[in-house]
Amino acid sequence: MRAIDHHAWTNRWRDWHPVEKGLPAVGLLTLTFVLPPLSTAPLVLASATLITVYGAGIPWKTLLSVLAAPAAFLLAGIPFLAISMDFTAGIDLTLSLEGLRLALTTVIRALAAMSCLAFLILTTPLTDGVLLLRRVGVPAGMIELILLMYRLIFVFAERALTGRQAQAGRLGYSRLDRSVRSLGLLGGNLFQRALDQARRLEIGLMARGYTGELCVLSPPWELSRWRLVAGIAGISLIGLVSSGLARSLS
Amino acid sequence: MHITEGFLPPLHAAAWTAVSLPFVAVSVYRVNRLMREKPEIKLLLAASGAFAFVISALKLPSITGSCSHATGTGLGAILFGPSVMALLGTIVLAFQTLLLAHGGITTLGANVFSMAIVGPWVAYAVLRGAQGLRAPLAFSVFLAAMLGDWATYLTTAGQLALAFPDPTSGIAGSFLKFASVFAPTQLPLAVIEGLLTVVIVNFLREYSSEELRNLRFLPKTLVSEARL
Repeated sequence: MRAIDHHAWTNRWRDWHPVEKGLPAVGLLTLTFVLPPLSTAPLVLASATLITVYGAGIPWKTLLSVLAAPAAFLLAGIPFLAISMDFTAGIDLTLSLEGLRLALTTVIRALAAMSCLAFLILTTPLTDGVLLLRRVGVPAGMIELILLMYRLIFVFAERALTGRQAQAGRLGYSRLDRSVRSLGLLGGNLFQRALDQARRLEIGLMARGYTGELCVLSPPWELSRWRLVAGIAGISLIGLVSSGLARSLS
Repeated sequence: MHITEGFLPPLHAAAWTAVSLPFVAVSVYRVNRLMREKPEIKLLLAASGAFAFVISALKLPSITGSCSHATGTGLGAILFGPSVMALLGTIVLAFQTLLLAHGGITTLGANVFSMAIVGPWVAYAVLRGAQGLRAPLAFSVFLAAMLGDWATYLTTAGQLALAFPDPTSGIAGSFLKFASVFAPTQLPLAVIEGLLTVVIVNFLREYSSEELRNLRFLPKTLVSEARL
């Protein structure tokens, strides 16, 4: 969690307008879904990886760890796409060419989509995206709720880690039953502190004339026209090449 | 159990988003009204949402050896009620996608349906039913959290089965495949989470009755249902 957030705030493209980074991410994601995956997904994966590493300057190691996040899910689910099961006469497992093809397209599509997501979350802090939500008509109260939650997550995460360390130091996680108990006490404590924190925030804000709105400044972003054009051109190029590839392959 | 970004075919991703949208919209409308009536609720909800996120990021002790996380679905439904959980759960799932790379943008709708809608409603219904039968509170809470988790996991297996029907045995065969491949981790995990939820609720009843009273304004929660 820290790694992703850290890079989102410190990467080379940090000061760009969020739309300039959202456009390639969403554009490439759309291509992955609209065009045939076998020809499109590798191109999308390669280009999203290249702009993340060489454009925004995210280390390979971080990018790979983000891409590996769904690895367990893919490893567990994929073999079952390839294998088909027939239980009309007992349980009969067969490996079909069609199933293998489905498994391959799903894996490659998931990886390509994951690389678009990785590009977006590693280059754009969550708060930038949330401020954009206001312009598309999400109620101001909701946006404040999200921003407050974002802030509090880091406060509570630190407390949870400290508490867990203290418990582990007292052998709180040495057996399964102790682990469940320790974790339960940690969770209960955390909730109590969370509600307490909310109340103290409330009192503090009330004393400063809180009426239900927290005013924050938006960063002075400027949309760069050539970056937008470059983004659109890049996406169209990838789209054209991959549909051409798909046609020549079939 | 989060469905990974890009795993669902486009039509299914869109359909699940469409299915989840009305639930979340109703929840947004309700919470928005609550927040206008009492501005301080915003802080309480923000703290609760952040708590739910942190709880779901804590690693659970696991029997099978794989690293697993709690879902917090049952606890959330018990503390905040299912109608508020639809919104809180959606925000937490979006945060998990954006801060932890768990789940995805295109699969958010499907994940919201299983974890922020089905799970909490099942947990709430079980809690209510068990309390109606005058079962002990600890047992009702355990059952609610465990069955809420199982419902979530079966819903996810169902979503995967609908998206990838087996060529020979169809959706039913595919459901069986996905349910059985995730069962070794999900079934014991739900038991652990049930026990964990009981420890948390017991702790809160013993030491935080004052704080729990603050939740009284929320409709359909532990405080109103289980006569704390």
